[in-house]
Amino acid sequence: MKIKNHSRICLIVSACIMVLALVLTLFGQGVNLGIDFTGGLSMQYSLGADAVQTDVEAVLKEMQVGDFTVTVQGANHDEVNIRIKSINQDDVQTVQETFEGKMADKYPAIKRVGDVNYVGPVAGETLLKNAFVSVILAAVLMLVYIAIRFDFNSGLAAVIGLVHDVLIMLSFMVILRSIVQMNSSFIAAALTIVGYSINNTIVIFDRIRENARKLGGVTREEVVNVSVKDCLTRTVTTTVTTLITICALYILGVASIKEFALPIIVGIVSSVYSANMINGYIWAALESRKRK
Amino acid sequence: MKSKNRKRANAKVKAIVALSIVFVLTVALALIGVNGMPLDSRGLYKLMPWLPTTDVEAWPSTLPLGLDLRGGVYVEYSAEVPEDTEASFDDLMTGTISVIQARLTDKGYAESTVQRIGGDGLRIEIPDVTDPDAVLDLIGSPAKLEFRTPAGESFMDGSMVELATVQMQEGEYVIAFKLNSEGTEIFAQKTAEYLGQSIAIYLDDVMLINPTVQSVITGGQGVINGMGGLEEAQTVAAKIQSGALPLVLTQQKVDTVSATLGDDALATSVLAAMIGIVLVMLVMIVRYRVNGVIASWALVIYIVTLFFLIAVIPGIQLTLPGIAGIVLGIGMAVDANVIIFERFNDEVRGGRPLKGALRAGFKNAMSAVLDANITTLIAAVVLMFFGTGSIQGFAKTLLLSVITSMFTAVLVTRFLMKHTIALKNWNVNLFTSRVKTVKEEQE
Repeated sequence: MKIKNHSRICLIVSACIMVLALVLTLFGQGVNLGIDFTGGLSMQYSLGADAVQTDVEAVLKEMQVGDFTVTVQGANHDEVNIRIKSINQDDVQTVQETFEGKMADKYPAIKRVGDVNYVGPVAGETLLKNAFVSVILAAVLMLVYIAIRFDFNSGLAAVIGLVHDVLIMLSFMVILRSIVQMNSSFIAAALTIVGYSINNTIVIFDRIRENARKLGGVTREEVVNVSVKDCLTRTVTTTVTTLITICALYILGVASIKEFALPIIVGIVSSVYSANMINGYIWAALESRKRK
Repeated sequence: MKSKNRKRANAKVKAIVALSIVFVLTVALALIGVNGMPLDSRGLYKLMPWLPTTDVEAWPSTLPLGLDLRGGVYVEYSAEVPEDTEASFDDLMTGTISVIQARLTDKGYAESTVQRIGGDGLRIEIPDVTDPDAVLDLIGSPAKLEFRTPAGESFMDGSMVELATVQMQEGEYVIAFKLNSEGTEIFAQKTAEYLGQSIAIYLDDVMLINPTVQSVITGGQGVINGMGGLEEAQTVAAKIQSGALPLVLTQQKVDTVSATLGDDALATSVLAAMIGIVLVMLVMIVRYRVNGVIASWALVIYIVTLFFLIAVIPGIQLTLPGIAGIVLGIGMAVDANVIIFERFNDEVRGGRPLKGALRAGFKNAMSAVLDANITTLIAAVVLMFFGTGSIQGFAKTLLLSVITSMFTAVLVTRFLMKHTIALKNWNVNLFTSRVKTVKEEQE
């Protein structure tokens, strides 16, 4: 088997995914932010009968609660999740009681189920700020670590791969907006992938370092080819085993676990792809530029 | 020839003993993990005197579960200094935390935690709550502070106390308090009346302290001594100050999780993790044969050790994202083994005897394994410092998982491999396929 340098094509594919996400965002179809980020109230009701979305929406409109979204869910379509964007903590109880009272006309068996979450407007901002700072900080620390253990260009190439993976994760959060919401767990997922992405890159860079010493008279690109191939069985086995456990969590897990597992699955696939198809070649390109 | 045989026989006996010990330990720890461990405090002390705690009560009987798994209320507040106070924010924060903690404990929520987050944030976690609204009211409501005469008549309330702080006087901690003008007048009168007797201070009808009046206090400022230590003094001072809470709190975030939802979450995630683990073991055994069995064994040790650590290390709870952290730790552990086994197989295929392949395989794999784990550790540490709430829980579990997995996937695996190889004269095909040349092991 021979692996050729497809890094250019791969970069174009990645760029297309990101551009698609960007365009969707510009057209108002961006990331489906959960209340951890937007603030507001989220609650869930079991209606005891087939839920008609327009019924629920009519009640909320009548109550004049401002921006809201209603999602019908549950295996029997008898549950609704309601999110109200701007609401004061003091009004939460009143809103709940009024809503339950008005709904009881049509759905006498209405019952509050699941979590009730309230997030103030400041909490979301802080979260976003912390998320941003932590990803940047982690990336810088990785760069420093790899620059020390390998060389600066390896660090740079690895961090480019890392940024690529986080962007791909974000892009898929946009593309899959109808099935996944972005909440604080996304930050944990992103940081996990930061670690995982570097992990994949390092295993290959480790081989590159070793092979560069062993193989004389070949181009850097060929060294990368050989190294990627050397690591291939490891890559496949590790990826398959990690994906098995995370997919099991995704398939069987509750909603909040799914919210966490899905971006991780995307990130793992992306990091394997970038570590094998892109990062090594970026390193080779950076090195060639330096020597010229 | 004879000595060589004896040497080999010795190594074999040693290997059997070593593997048996690890096996018994694994099974014992796993059984303890599943069934719990009945401990006698003095027995434990005699057995292991170096253990930091010999108090059985301090040993958890079950894994500490996060709110998302056991159900409860999670609240975040932002705090502000009330306008007419001159005390420092940090003092007031400490006061507020101990007041809230005391209130919750009084009402039976002893397992609740109150923590400061960031500069001005406050996080409260209360497990096992059935009526969230009542609990939230309890946190925010002002308490009723009263000064009572020896006969039990109330003559002053908390609104007349301006400040109560802890000070150091003559080598002991005392509470210094300051009253407003109305309070000063009443207090001067009452201390004169009850000189030599005691005036009790009650919070929500519970007596806080019952100090004796040693002199008439006319200036509106006095001290209460006889505090046990700094902590007691701080708690009492905070309570005296808490006619209302020392700080003005605004709710930022409220999460309530019902206990049934938590149970569901726990059950499904544990099931998912178990299915995942079994599948991973199958893949490893199919792919790496004898080594796969060893990796599976090491994985069991990883899980047993990790849960033991989560149970005994204070401040770590098992949360939903935490389970994901453990699962990722499994990924890391397996990855380390895969890297090692691939290198090992390379060596075996190149014709090296198993023992030499073990040494060379580990040597070649080590830098990649270490670097990979250290970078994940970096990410986990960053998360721990910048994350809040459940994210921090995830970071802690991830950190612990990665450290544990390094131990089991490298040291334990190496130990098991070494002794397994010494066990018998293995057919190398039981370790890997595609072996070109098979050389007899050379001593």
